[in-house]
Amino acid sequence: MVKYVFNRILQIIPVVLGITVLVFFIMRMIPGDPAMVMLGQDATPEDIARIRAILGLDRNIFVQLFSYIKNMLMLDFGNSIFLRQPVLEVIKASFPATIELAVTALIISLIIAVPLGIISAVKQNSWVDYTSMAFAQLGISMPVFWTGVLLILLFSVKLGWLPSFGRGESIIEGLKVLVTTGSGEVLLASLKKLILPAASLGIMGSAMISRMIRSTMLEVLDSDYVRTARAKGTVERKVIMKHAFRNALLPVVTIVGLQFGTLLGGSIITESVFAWPGIGRIIVTAISQRDFPLVQGGVIFLATTFAVMNLLVDVLYVVINPKIRH
Amino acid sequence: MKKRILSLVLVVVILVFSAACGKTDSVPQPAEQGSSGTTEYRDTIKIGVDVDPNTLDPRLQTNVTVMRVGELVFSGLVELNEKLEPQPCLAESWEQKDATTLVFHLRKDIKWHDGNSFTAADVKYTYETILDKDFGSAARARYVPIKEILTPDDYTVQFNLSEPYAPILTYMDHKIVPQSAKDNPGFAENPVGTGPYKFVSWSKNSVIKLTANDSYFDGAPATKNIEIYTIPDNTTRVSALEAGDVDFIHSPLSPQDIPRMKQNDKVVVHQTSGLGVTFVNFNHQSEILKDRNVRTGLSYMIDKDTISRDIYQSMDTPANGPILPASWAYSEDIKDNPYDPAKGLQILNDAGWKDTNGDGILDKGGKKLTVKLSTHTEDPNRMQALEFIQNSFASNGIDAPVSTFEWATFSSDLTAGNYDISIVGLLNINDPDRGLYIQFHTGGGQNYGKYSYPELDTLLDKGRSTSDQSERAKIYQQAAQMINDEVMWKTLVFQGYIAMYNKNLEGYTPMPSGQISAMRDAKVKR
Amino acid sequence: MKSLFLKRLLNNKSAVIGGVIVIIVIMCALLAPVISPYDPYTMNMPDRLQGPGGSHLLGTDQFGRDLLTRLIYGAKVSLQVGVIAVGLAMFVGVFLGLIAGYYGGWTDKIIMRFVDIFLAFPIILLAIAFVAALGPNTRNVMLALGMVYWTSYTRVVRSSVLSIKEEEYIMAAITTGASDIRIIFTYILPNALAPIIVMATLGLGTAIISESTLSFLGLGVQPPTASWGSTLAFGLKFIRDAPYLSIFPGLAIMLTVLGFNLLGNGLRDVTDPKLTRK
Repeated sequence: MVKYVFNRILQIIPVVLGITVLVFFIMRMIPGDPAMVMLGQDATPEDIARIRAILGLDRNIFVQLFSYIKNMLMLDFGNSIFLRQPVLEVIKASFPATIELAVTALIISLIIAVPLGIISAVKQNSWVDYTSMAFAQLGISMPVFWTGVLLILLFSVKLGWLPSFGRGESIIEGLKVLVTTGSGEVLLASLKKLILPAASLGIMGSAMISRMIRSTMLEVLDSDYVRTARAKGTVERKVIMKHAFRNALLPVVTIVGLQFGTLLGGSIITESVFAWPGIGRIIVTAISQRDFPLVQGGVIFLATTFAVMNLLVDVLYVVINPKIRH
Repeated sequence: MKKRILSLVLVVVILVFSAACGKTDSVPQPAEQGSSGTTEYRDTIKIGVDVDPNTLDPRLQTNVTVMRVGELVFSGLVELNEKLEPQPCLAESWEQKDATTLVFHLRKDIKWHDGNSFTAADVKYTYETILDKDFGSAARARYVPIKEILTPDDYTVQFNLSEPYAPILTYMDHKIVPQSAKDNPGFAENPVGTGPYKFVSWSKNSVIKLTANDSYFDGAPATKNIEIYTIPDNTTRVSALEAGDVDFIHSPLSPQDIPRMKQNDKVVVHQTSGLGVTFVNFNHQSEILKDRNVRTGLSYMIDKDTISRDIYQSMDTPANGPILPASWAYSEDIKDNPYDPAKGLQILNDAGWKDTNGDGILDKGGKKLTVKLSTHTEDPNRMQALEFIQNSFASNGIDAPVSTFEWATFSSDLTAGNYDISIVGLLNINDPDRGLYIQFHTGGGQNYGKYSYPELDTLLDKGRSTSDQSERAKIYQQAAQMINDEVMWKTLVFQGYIAMYNKNLEGYTPMPSGQISAMRDAKVKR
Repeated sequence: MKSLFLKRLLNNKSAVIGGVIVIIVIMCALLAPVISPYDPYTMNMPDRLQGPGGSHLLGTDQFGRDLLTRLIYGAKVSLQVGVIAVGLAMFVGVFLGLIAGYYGGWTDKIIMRFVDIFLAFPIILLAIAFVAALGPNTRNVMLALGMVYWTSYTRVVRSSVLSIKEEEYIMAAITTGASDIRIIFTYILPNALAPIIVMATLGLGTAIISESTLSFLGLGVQPPTASWGSTLAFGLKFIRDAPYLSIFPGLAIMLTVLGFNLLGNGLRDVTDPKLTRK
């Protein structure tokens, strides 16, 4: 078991390295360079050449790559060219916003998808099933930014209930204030800003997850295990909740883990629509500014997070697995 | 079974903890239930801007928000008023000893936000770093004629120029940073200035928080706090104003939001002509555009009036040349080619471009008349103008493929001369020299089209060295006419400046340059 | 065999509904010049931003162009981008999956590492980076999407190959001296075809959404080409005065993607042995 975990951790390393190299070369392929963007319109070609030299961009590309990897091993991701801050600092400052968004979206997805998936499976081929699956299909057919825009149109523009941009204090901060001062104001303001972006991501997530829950539930409901329970005369409700769902939960954990990657991807777009200051937005801006260190650091960070998440899910799966099958 | 639920919970908890480990570094929002000061006015003014600053060090700015923050946190030797005339600020007086010597006498009672005294050494340090090529300041090009900076005493600064340079006084509004910035690597994130507001925090891509500098040399500001929110999308920013999430926003704005806001009685819309131009840049190095006739013919096919009226909804007005109406150098007599596609087509035909093979596209010597059009994606109005021009060209037999890029790639193509026709803009033209010299002089840093006309160079040099303003005006008018005649730029529109704000915002008058330093006198009624 | 397959397909509600939608979209794409009420490129400024109704069924855009016409022509662009992107992804992905599964060993390990790398983070970010690198135009969008989506085909094909490889008739073919290529293409590939086709159908939907996302970020098809994604992206600027400009292209995208998804699901139901049991 420990060996398994160790092996999986080792597997992450070549992947992260591969991503580093891939991103490194892609970024350098993009025309335009940071010196240009940094100096703005007033620059002369000599100024640009000078700044490039200072940034080390005039060295041979492989030299640059090796020097980057060397630093990376010491957890030095360099400084963002434009924010003039260590990349790690920028990431640390913006990542919590993305996590907040993704986790809330995940929670919303589960709240919608779990009951929907279970009921659809249990009442397979009924109108409830068809309607929910129709909604699910629609949900995954909508581009996530369109969902966001529609929500803004309805709740911000037409109804004026919710703000359409930005992020308040973090939810954790809001909770702290609530606990220490008894004032829910900060928390409420934060929630109001969080709900629309999280909902647009959550709708997409729930569409995906509900279908998967439904299909795993169907398989489980059809399995010998459940047939046995039914044959024993267990009440149908108990069959569903105690036996079927609990067995379906395991693949669901895997699915959720995998969907988290899609959610992270969707959050990048959502962050742009709602001006949410997360890491996705930072990376997209960094790409247009040719802020190489920031793009590299951000992408490596995201990739590693994702790989670690997958690792956790796999490990949990293995830990639990032996106990189910009998 | 417990283990399964546990595993799911574990995953979520881990994630929540990682979110908890990094909280935003800004202070909790101040309660708005007037517990301090007067209850009549709010203690915070909220401003919405379109881009997050790239830095808070004014010397390194590449976008406008840095200037806006700078106007509150820092001060310059002079400050420009609505007529773009320099007013005393850090300097209480100045004198032009001779054509190449400028002396400033500084106020003696000014303190930096960290308590140190402001002296001439800070001014010297600021300008020397701007002039230092290795420092990387984009402003450097404007200050190149400064040969040396002397500080005969703590409150006197002398600038010795290498040649007479008429615009220098206008350019002396650059913000001054303290010498202590030299040893402070975090200065760009944590600025220390002499302005009416002190820096508190900067949450990237979100909000910048400032608080009043009660010992500001011109008196404490009227409102305790200012928060500057970054809202890139023009329409979202307007929605934020409508919802009361911000109190003040200004250009860039989407023209379609303006009529609606004018009808909103909770909002004041202030519209005036601004300090920018949007223009079509013709690359004189491009094969197809080397022929002046081709340029002229194309120039007749650009309909400025419709672009201004329909795309910009008259927010920006049709231009007659690169000199702003707000400038003392402006003249209505400067002429540009009107929209006359038939005439343009005739000129092209006369130059040998005819549709000989019936494919709808003009050709000559077997080659199609192909002109690449480009602009940058961040500005939706320019994108529309580009598409509109593409349509005009295409209907008149010109093959006009479009490419749009985000600013980084677009500007590097411009610098490399890798384009035919581009739509670009220029902002903050507070002196005609700033909008003409490096753009049109042979070898100028922003002379993307590689224009090289000796008579124009002479005019531009004379414009810099002549001190009489009416003389300079005539010189620049001549230059502008030449620019139109040779079709270097076809200036599309003069940018308007629009400020929209909560009608409860009192004590503030918008300035055409977009400068918000006057916010120090503003307050918002509850 | 084929007629049984077709019969089953036609009985599958999902496939039928999806199929009808897809056929409508394809018809729009092919017959655009014939069925459109207007020309998609002619600008008519006085008529700009008209709401739906009257002479313009769905209204006009910011240049006075008929929205319905733009959407019909947009079907052509969306399908083109989708088909080529998916085609490219399929070509690369299937090929790599075949050799990874068949040859195993180091070939397999290396290819799967690449797959892991590509799947290691939000695909859209990679697509953004690719298009930014190559320059935003239709061709590069197709290239970028193809370069990013090949991984799912590789995985699926590889596992198909792994399971088929062990079958007896393959063993037989090897012992009779059939060449590798012959074995791969005559025996293995046809049996792995079903999941590939399902993925391709679903992949078309994903490609169309990705194209519209790239356009939304300013990295897509260039004007004046009428892609749904760029029409929507630009329509957003006018969301308050002309919300229909954002709603209708979004609907077009949604319905088309829905069609492909339903068709793909139907195909999967019909070809997947596990589910045909019920």
